[in-house]
Amino acid sequence: MTQLINIVSHIKTSPESCYATSGRMLDSLFNIDNGYLEGLVRGFKNGILKETDYLNLVQCETLDDLKLHLQSTDYGHFLANEASPIQVSVIDDKLRDKLVAEFQHMRNHAVEPLATFLDYITYGYMIDNIVLLITGALHQRPISELMPKCHPLGTFEQIEAINVASTSSELYNAVLVDTPLADFFGECVSEQDLDELNIEIIRNTLYKAYLESFYSYCKSLGGITAEVMCEILAFEADRRAFIITLNSFGTELTNEDRKKLYPQCGKLYPDGLAALARADDAENVKQVAEFYTEYRALFEGAGSNPGEKTLEDKFFEHEVKLNVNSFLHQFHFGVFYAYLKLKEQECRNIVWIAECIAQKHRAKIDNYIHIL
Amino acid sequence: MGSIFRSEEMSLCQLFLSSEAAYNCVSELGEIGLVQFRDLNPDVNAFQRKFVHEVRRCDEMERQLRYLEKEMLKDNVHIVDTGENPEAPQPREMVDLEATFEKLENELREVNANAVTLKKNSLELTELKHVLNATKLFFTEHEGPSSLRLEQRDAEPNSSITQNLLPAEEGKGPVQLGFVAGVTRRERMPMFERMLWRVCRGNVFVRQAEILEPLEDPVTEEEVHKVVFLIFFQGEKLKNKVKKICDGCRATTYPCPESQQERQEMGQGVRGRLDDLTVVLNQTTDHRHRVLAAAAKHLRTWFIKVRKIKAIYHALNMLNLDVTNKCLIAECWIPVSDLGRIQDGLRKGTEKSGSSVQPILNTIKPTMMPPTFHRTNKFTNGFQALVNAYGVATYREINPALYTTTSFPFLFAVMFGDAGHGLIMLLFALWMVLREKALIASKMSGEIWNIFFGGRYILLMMGFFSVYTGIIYNDIFSKSFNIFGSSWHMGENATVHYLSYVEEVTLNPLYEKEYDQTPYPFGFDPIWQIAVNKIAFQNSYKMKISIIIGVVQMIFGVMLSLVNHLFFRNYVSLVFEFIPQIIFLIGLFGYLCILIFHKWIHYGCGPAFDFIHKAGCAPAVLITFINMVLFKKDEVPVPCDLWMFDGQYIIQMVLVIVCVICVPLMLFPKPLILNSRHKARKAHHDQVELMSDTSHAHGTEEEFELSEVFIEQAIHTIEYVLGSVSHTASYLRLWALSLAHGQLSEVLWNMVLKIGLSQTSLLGSIMLYFLFAAWAALTISILVLMEGLSAFLHTLRLHWVEFQSKFYKGEGYAFTPLTFKHIISGDEEEG
Repeated sequence: MTQLINIVSHIKTSPESCYATSGRMLDSLFNIDNGYLEGLVRGFKNGILKETDYLNLVQCETLDDLKLHLQSTDYGHFLANEASPIQVSVIDDKLRDKLVAEFQHMRNHAVEPLATFLDYITYGYMIDNIVLLITGALHQRPISELMPKCHPLGTFEQIEAINVASTSSELYNAVLVDTPLADFFGECVSEQDLDELNIEIIRNTLYKAYLESFYSYCKSLGGITAEVMCEILAFEADRRAFIITLNSFGTELTNEDRKKLYPQCGKLYPDGLAALARADDAENVKQVAEFYTEYRALFEGAGSNPGEKTLEDKFFEHEVKLNVNSFLHQFHFGVFYAYLKLKEQECRNIVWIAECIAQKHRAKIDNYIHIL
Repeated sequence: MGSIFRSEEMSLCQLFLSSEAAYNCVSELGEIGLVQFRDLNPDVNAFQRKFVHEVRRCDEMERQLRYLEKEMLKDNVHIVDTGENPEAPQPREMVDLEATFEKLENELREVNANAVTLKKNSLELTELKHVLNATKLFFTEHEGPSSLRLEQRDAEPNSSITQNLLPAEEGKGPVQLGFVAGVTRRERMPMFERMLWRVCRGNVFVRQAEILEPLEDPVTEEEVHKVVFLIFFQGEKLKNKVKKICDGCRATTYPCPESQQERQEMGQGVRGRLDDLTVVLNQTTDHRHRVLAAAAKHLRTWFIKVRKIKAIYHALNMLNLDVTNKCLIAECWIPVSDLGRIQDGLRKGTEKSGSSVQPILNTIKPTMMPPTFHRTNKFTNGFQALVNAYGVATYREINPALYTTTSFPFLFAVMFGDAGHGLIMLLFALWMVLREKALIASKMSGEIWNIFFGGRYILLMMGFFSVYTGIIYNDIFSKSFNIFGSSWHMGENATVHYLSYVEEVTLNPLYEKEYDQTPYPFGFDPIWQIAVNKIAFQNSYKMKISIIIGVVQMIFGVMLSLVNHLFFRNYVSLVFEFIPQIIFLIGLFGYLCILIFHKWIHYGCGPAFDFIHKAGCAPAVLITFINMVLFKKDEVPVPCDLWMFDGQYIIQMVLVIVCVICVPLMLFPKPLILNSRHKARKAHHDQVELMSDTSHAHGTEEEFELSEVFIEQAIHTIEYVLGSVSHTASYLRLWALSLAHGQLSEVLWNMVLKIGLSQTSLLGSIMLYFLFAAWAALTISILVLMEGLSAFLHTLRLHWVEFQSKFYKGEGYAFTPLTFKHIISGDEEEG
């Protein structure tokens, strides 16, 4: 616990404080280094599918129809070299490959501090990959089978050697110590053997440290970047806090342990998080959300009954809104983050629609997240 | 009237095709390439159309062909381009094509899969060979030292010494120094070693040796550098860890026998198997090559065929299906003059399909503006593209491309006037034009090259005219030719002694000894090239010439608007737009040109002119013109006359007043007349409606808003009146650019080549060698390329803005017929 406070104590966590930081980088000089990439990302953003595209996609009868329609959008001929009949997984892979190629292109052309910013974005994927591999290794799955499932943005050199580790300290000492994630790992070094719960805790602790670090990095950049990114990351942190709480009910996780997993850079910090730590059922969580205007709206009307949207979808929608809004500002890095997230959402949407078509389960085909 | 003057007359036709003949008919139409189908199902999604299945089959075939092409490129198989134009195959032949492609693709994939397996085996064996070699080296290297002997012995589990040495460690058995040998990529080695160190806490001993020749990765076929490593460790637990790390770092481990002899035997076995494998691998590659070479002969034709089928089905998707499903209905734009050819094509298509039902071609009345279609040849094509870049002509309006073919290069040349630079351009363009066929066939890519090549005829004309104006300016790389002998002479003063202490000599045209009284027969007198007041002289000339050229071109533009008005029977515009416009332009700027000519003819220096027509008394044309508009009279010195001719003041006053009257004439009558016409029509319409008591055809009546028409007319008028002034001034860019070009080339000559030429020593000749290179490079890059580009852009502006604004609307849309031409030429455009 003391260690935890040490880590976060240097972050003055309140979203308002980032407005106070004066822009370290002059807006007028932004374009010297980042103008090309910003232009590029805005161009890419214009290629995001519109509502009319979705209406057309939803009408498709087969996946080949879907392919045909995607050809008329900015995706172009990305599926042209795939033999029919096409599989959903192939579409998913190709969508992801295209996004990754775009992101890598931007990363390769980026200079500091944008380069670090873009690297920060990839750390999240690294965490997911590590957890995926450890879980797989626990279930005795060969690493070569798991590798294709990893997100390409989150791969690093040592990743395949991850099954050497059987405890978290080994994981740290052998694999992660050279990676950028080493900084986030201090919290979860222990000699305990890795098991399911342990891994979940590691994932969330890593994510918490990552989010807080990313948050403070964005704030140190100052200017509009801080303004936009702090807003988005604060929401991300709060979302994680809510979801951790909701998922922890009925598990062995104690309230005290749970509290350690909350990222402390959101709007919930500190009162909301304290209240969440005390929560014992979903109703309590909802009461916490009542105190925050934006979250109240999300919890209201969310549910799992037909006709209602799930809380997860509500969160996604709010995230999309924040990301779309970030394009209204200029001269900041938030657009890169926002573009990646929007595009990911779009990939999820397309895959959702494709799955619905492939499984002839058209009733729920409209449940994708509306983007623009 | 030929279509270069205005766009082709188009008719909207309805086409009834029986469903069995439709494919063949459309195929014939595609070969003719003069029919633009209208999309009759714009609301239908791409994947809901009738022939979407066929389109998809074509996509699939294209994919297979692309795969074949990729494989051919990988194997460097030459793809034969016969240039022949196969007809679109019948739909039933599609199945054959599909089968052929499928067979080829499967065969290739199989061969490739085999090759990959073989290569993988071969790679493994090669790696093993290297491992064996390397381990041999490791062990022999340390033959002497005791430490390694220990290892070697330890490696053998039944060695008695080991057991004796460590008898105390009961239960755990003998300590074994085991080793793992393997191969990994060179770039992974540091990471690998670091991880080994960390995980095993330094309890392993790693030796490595690089494999010198790069190995080929069987899947990606890239060359990779690899390293053989040998890890010594102690105990089972470490062994597991090491194995895991090897897996994690994608290192391949190989079993390596522990004794020298076994290694040797294994080495021999490996070599033998490797040789066998190489033979098999070669055979596989040969087979693959044969398959590809056979396919390469047909690849181009296959591509064309498949693309044609696809284009046909795309066109068929635009057609409407009849209720009875027996025939397809198409609506299409067809040039009227080609109706016969289209009919023939349709007949041929029907015959080919064996259908007994003749297709029916009906002309129907179009409700929308037809597309604009200009037939071009390779000469006019470039110029038409220049015009179209501004806007595609409104249907049947005057096409400025014809006039552009001469006026464009001419105006360019006025700015670019240098015979030397013009000659370079001319020769370059001539080379492109003469080697046209070979250059097209070579299919050079590159955007910049395509721009030059596409505009080769424009360049040719521009070069030709530049040589002409260069001779007029007597300017060749900023030097002049003295062909006819200058009209100016130095007289008896011209002794070397005299010239050595005089800086400037003034020649007075009054004296016959110094001036012949007859001008140089063609172009500028070469003496101006060395005159101090060369620029003052040329400026006066070029400025006036620019104004004259500009006014002439603008008057021509206004005259073309007359042709347009007559053609469209727009008599209101003729009377209340064209007439005031032409009066305004000629009254003010036409008069200015007349003054210029008058001054040129009636004022001069020679004895033929009396005192008031001497140079000193000549009134400034510009001042006269400004005073004319302001109704002002300037004071002049006593003997001179303010007026150039009798009654000039009265004429000027009348002209200005008439021009001012023209302005309201342009502004008011047209909207008022249109308004009253509209009212009359409406009244008539109401009457008809009352009588017939039906209220249909109401929607066809276009909206008429008086204020809007007025505003539009006001904008038009203001634009024209102000435009006349600013456009005339705008033509002065002809002078400005010409001046800049001349000065630049002179500076280049003086600063670079002249230095080399004025050297007297032997060193000078060497210096000249380099200086000429610099001069030539700068001449080409700056004076020809950059200046050429700048003059080109200014010419473009003069045409688009100053010339075309007088008559050209450019509100049409281009005719885009279904044609197979781009499929044959291999463009990757897809509809």
